[in-house]
Amino acid sequence: MTVTTPTIEKANLSSAPGLDRVDAINYPTKRDEAWRYSPHRELARLLFGPATTSARSMSADVAKDIAEQIPALDGPRIVVVNGVVDEARSDLTHLGDGLSVSTLADALKDQPEQLDSHFAQSADDIPDAFVALNMEFGRDGAVIHVAKGHELATPIHIVDIVVPGETQNASCTGVVIHLGEDSSATVVETRIGGGNQFGGSNTRTTITLDDNATLDHIVLQDMPSSQIHLSSIEVTQKEGSVFRARSFNLGASYGRIAYDVYLAGERAHTDLSGLYFGTGDQILDQQVTVIHAAKNCTSRQTFRGILDDESTGVFNGGIDVRPGADGTDAEQSNDNLLLSKRAEVNTQPRLEILADDVACKHGATVGQLDDEALYYLRTRGIPADEARRLLIRGFADQAVHAVDIEALRTWITDRLGHANG
Amino acid sequence: MLHVKNLTASIEGTPILKGLDLTVGAGEVHAIMGPNGSGKSTFAHALAGRDGYEIGGTATLDGADLLDMKPEARAAAGLFVGFQYPVEIPGVNNMYFLRAALNSVRRARGETEIGARDFLAVAKEAMDLVEMKEDFLNRSVNAGFSGGEKKRNEILQMAVLKPRLAVLDETDSGLDIDALQIIAAGVNSLGGPERSVIMITHYQRLLDYIKPDFVHVLVDGSIVASGDHTLALHLEDHGYADYVNHDLDDVPGRALSGAVS
Repeated sequence: MTVTTPTIEKANLSSAPGLDRVDAINYPTKRDEAWRYSPHRELARLLFGPATTSARSMSADVAKDIAEQIPALDGPRIVVVNGVVDEARSDLTHLGDGLSVSTLADALKDQPEQLDSHFAQSADDIPDAFVALNMEFGRDGAVIHVAKGHELATPIHIVDIVVPGETQNASCTGVVIHLGEDSSATVVETRIGGGNQFGGSNTRTTITLDDNATLDHIVLQDMPSSQIHLSSIEVTQKEGSVFRARSFNLGASYGRIAYDVYLAGERAHTDLSGLYFGTGDQILDQQVTVIHAAKNCTSRQTFRGILDDESTGVFNGGIDVRPGADGTDAEQSNDNLLLSKRAEVNTQPRLEILADDVACKHGATVGQLDDEALYYLRTRGIPADEARRLLIRGFADQAVHAVDIEALRTWITDRLGHANG
Repeated sequence: MLHVKNLTASIEGTPILKGLDLTVGAGEVHAIMGPNGSGKSTFAHALAGRDGYEIGGTATLDGADLLDMKPEARAAAGLFVGFQYPVEIPGVNNMYFLRAALNSVRRARGETEIGARDFLAVAKEAMDLVEMKEDFLNRSVNAGFSGGEKKRNEILQMAVLKPRLAVLDETDSGLDIDALQIIAAGVNSLGGPERSVIMITHYQRLLDYIKPDFVHVLVDGSIVASGDHTLALHLEDHGYADYVNHDLDDVPGRALSGAVS
């Protein structure tokens, strides 16, 4: 059997040094469990290359359209357009005590040693070629550092925008987040796009939480349906730290959000929740791996999917309990609502437990709208369409309410309202 | 107000209602009693418009043909059915649901929608009626409610929607005496010359609290006896044996025994 391996356009890459490293890492194929449902032919059409500042230009229409898509949040904001920070659209004027935010490009110039956690990885630790591409071309983005003991009240907003060009249609962005001991912060990453050309974004976020730090991290993925979104979120948690992730995987023809959480210190807690809502022929893919490498850590994975039309949902959730990680308490759930006969969901738990005294639970459900509930609502005068919408919203509600910031809940509810006709 | 003529309902070819006739005038309270499996709940669902039945005959409410309408249109026409087993709907807020229901009905009738603040006053009044606490409104519809809470929530909806005709299916089942009294008081205070009630019940107990003007006995899909409230008392003493020990299909015109006035 022969396997077609997608190749990237050499023309756009030839000038970049270090591509041998990308080439050395195989492009994923359908044989890779983590890429089984991905549209490989489309992925091969993504053209990556070094970001250029000219890439920031966009038409007034596209700019206006994009401005309307961004949730209204107070606080610091970094806007990245086609892989380059757009200073005019960013606002870093009121950072407050204990917070430093810089562009990744500046940090690479000024203090590259602080970025080892992001760039200095051995080839063995790079999971796939898209992460390798990001490491190669994702030379701008955001670097966030919260100093020891500081608790930040306002969220930090990173907006990643792609407006595909003719020759280079895909961009790479890097985000580095480091929380010092006993600090806390909220980071919101909004991933959107403009225009209706084929293209995509490839973002990578690396997060380090020192002892007893707490990070709330929210991802809103709402790319145009002509685009692809690939996201890798890699987290290392030290003793007693807390990571709360909320992902809303809503847009793109193929939207992929991968979490790799490494619980390195004792009593660390990670809580990942997500909602994916597919319409048309979207494929929305969540790849989650939580590694318990220390004693007495807890982890939760709570993902919900709503799939309409011919859309496909993927949940591939791993719990990996390493030898010695005794006292692990891990739970995973994946509930899905299929709104159409042609929609599908592929849910797969992966559990590997190599420690003692481990409590590990997982469960998945796939269901349809409850006819009895629909009937009940209609007998109260609520028309069928509205009753359907109410029930769908009710199903999504658990994920929406896991978000503390009201402005984001409003944004999400509005967005779900559109998807839901 | 309600005219039901020769109503039939079957599921997958199995007949359940076999020609039910019933007339309910404005402001009247009727009780339909009958043994298990006689078609009581099917009658409620046939009026409400549940899918899955093959329906025959006619049922008009204030002259409008109910059987031709979608369930939501029947509600707008003034029908309310309180269910024996109200469905739990996790994630849908009770308050939001009640307001959506009221506004849907108002819209369908060409009335203006009611705003959140005005609605709160409507809801508060309805909650007082069934002695519910305010946190009730912030919970999901029926989710995790006790049996009594679910039934009270049904009467709460009736109080908000103010129907022309309320059909209450086994509203008394599973209630302790306190809850039963609260519900009965709620139904009684909603009564009036313009609102009619049909209570479907297995036991006479509820009728001690809500006194019916008429009592009907439903057996094997049709009404085999009608009378005043003393008929219910007779049934309490003698059960349905008088009506079910014979092949009623063969003798539809059978003379009634018992305390029929």
